[in-house]
Amino acid sequence: MHNLGTVFRFEVIRSLKKKSFWITALSFPVIIAVVVAVIFFSNKSSDEVAENAKNEKFSIAITDASNVIPETISSQYEAQRVAESQKQATIDKVSNGTLDAYFYYPSDLSRDRVEVYGEDVGLFNNGKYEAVAKLLLQQSVASNVDPQTTAILQDTVGFSAATYKDGRQFDGIKELIAPGIFLVMFYFLIAMFGNQMLTSTTEEKENRVIEMVLTTIEARVLIIGKIISLLVLAAIQAFIVLVPVLVIYLLFREQLQLPSFDLTSIPLDPVRIAIGAVLFLFSFLLFTGMLVGIGAASPTAKEAGGFFGIAMVFIFGPLYAVTLFFSQPDSPIVRFLTFFPLTAPIPLMLRNAIGNLTTFDVVLGIGILAVSAVVALSIAIRMFRYGALEYSKRLSLKTIFAKKTL
Amino acid sequence: MPDATATKSRTNSTEAIVTIDNFRMDFGGKTVIKDLSFEVQRGEVFGFLGSNGSGKTTTIRSLLGIYQPTGGTLLIDGKPFNVASGTKLGYLPEERGLYKNESVIDVMVYFGQLKGLSKTDAKQRSDAYLERVKLTDKAKTTLGKLSGGQQQKIQLGITIMNDPELLILDEPTKGFDPVNRRLLMDIIEEHQNAGATVIFVTHQMEEVERLCDRIILLKDGKAHAYGTIAEVKKEHGGMSLDDIFISVYGDENTEQDHTHEEVK
Repeated sequence: MHNLGTVFRFEVIRSLKKKSFWITALSFPVIIAVVVAVIFFSNKSSDEVAENAKNEKFSIAITDASNVIPETISSQYEAQRVAESQKQATIDKVSNGTLDAYFYYPSDLSRDRVEVYGEDVGLFNNGKYEAVAKLLLQQSVASNVDPQTTAILQDTVGFSAATYKDGRQFDGIKELIAPGIFLVMFYFLIAMFGNQMLTSTTEEKENRVIEMVLTTIEARVLIIGKIISLLVLAAIQAFIVLVPVLVIYLLFREQLQLPSFDLTSIPLDPVRIAIGAVLFLFSFLLFTGMLVGIGAASPTAKEAGGFFGIAMVFIFGPLYAVTLFFSQPDSPIVRFLTFFPLTAPIPLMLRNAIGNLTTFDVVLGIGILAVSAVVALSIAIRMFRYGALEYSKRLSLKTIFAKKTL
Repeated sequence: MPDATATKSRTNSTEAIVTIDNFRMDFGGKTVIKDLSFEVQRGEVFGFLGSNGSGKTTTIRSLLGIYQPTGGTLLIDGKPFNVASGTKLGYLPEERGLYKNESVIDVMVYFGQLKGLSKTDAKQRSDAYLERVKLTDKAKTTLGKLSGGQQQKIQLGITIMNDPELLILDEPTKGFDPVNRRLLMDIIEEHQNAGATVIFVTHQMEEVERLCDRIILLKDGKAHAYGTIAEVKKEHGGMSLDDIFISVYGDENTEQDHTHEEVK
């Protein structure tokens, strides 16, 4: 393993020199920045429009067949009340521009629609007519009932809930966060670097450098060096992605109307966090082994890339049963997905985050992942070792396992 | 013709750096090497001759553990080769290639470090070699932008960078012009004079005459001739090596490239 550091440095440095690495790394923060800018200016523009609309005076006429809107409310808006018989004549006034808006409130509001007529003032500003018509109704109702009833009717009553598990307060959503980070990290790594793992060894084959490599360095040292370099590159990329997100959150949280988040309120369960870390490690090694193995068995990076979908099926497939992971953790389908090696990472990490893994599940799951990871990596190294000289064709499993030794 | 196995008695096994005994190799049910036995003595230049597809590269790859032999033993310094075995090896394979998107100097230093040199030493040796082969101005050029001959020179530089005890060169002059071929011959002689053992796979008989102490001729996976150049010539009635080659392989198309895949 004495060349591990050399391989690691070579792989990291040459990746950092590639334009594609920086394009990939920077594209995400740039997209976030663009989206944030659009939201920021859109919010600012909306606020300005709303403020202008509030201060803007426009002539209104109403017909209240429902008898819900009292004079006191309609007079606040300087709304002219017209008889039902004048409905068409008033609509004509709006049509010919002598009146800005006319609202017709039917006798049965629970059945019929309120009719709103207004002079066109642009796509975004036309909404003000309906907003004012609704406001007239809301203020009219509120004037007849107490504030509590208003809050109930308007669904603005606040709630605070506390749930308990094993004798302590347990917030299911917040409890998800710390152990769930490993699941997010796993998806991030595979999504951002899966293809790179897949093609990490094809360069040696495509460039015909493999014979010199195999007579200079052990295959497993090269593979492990490449895997470690991918982890470090992922950390660098995560840093590049997360730093702008944090900066934007801290500096522009209020402007972007992002929710305030108290990090100190996140529960930290050391046992589940430790289990999550172990599951993440073995899951990562399992998929790395699988992807590197597929790449080693393929003659070109292009052909290897075609197999990326297979890995994605195992990673995203279990998400179709995500509701079952929460509601029926003991169902046969959940147990199968949890303990079948290639689908196990997602159910195990998700169920660990939810908190419905038993001790037996944890031990069995970690055992299955650990053994699978070792087997996958061993096969990957073997595939690289013996697939090396299959320059122009895909390596068959028969060829790999027919070899006696590494 | 001296039999390969019989000729073994003329070698001193205690001085052998490479020992191949009853080596057999099957590919897809077809036997391509049949019970091949020979030794390479420490410090000699050994010519490994044969037409394309005769099994030279397969033998070399099996000796270096790249292929798993079907039978027999292939030893370097008395044990099967692996990169941790301690023998300082320089191997220039028949299949040429390097990391095409990296610079010349980065790749040379990388391989130098993998071969056990410090970064500084690898850099110094790389610079000296580039100066010798007049490629100093290409040090920071990516390998993919070099001509085939220039890339081959870089690969040769990497092969000899660690002053190997055993230098295995599989058709090293393929694609070289006469000037570079002369340069390569000089480099091989320098390493031989420094005590290195050289196994030299080639079709060029003038190179064999100039450099090799002993040779082996493979035909159809078997040793057709084995011994010193004088012994082989004597066995063939005093013919030149060129004539021997033509008489042995004349019925074969030596321009064909029987790669491993095709053999399979």
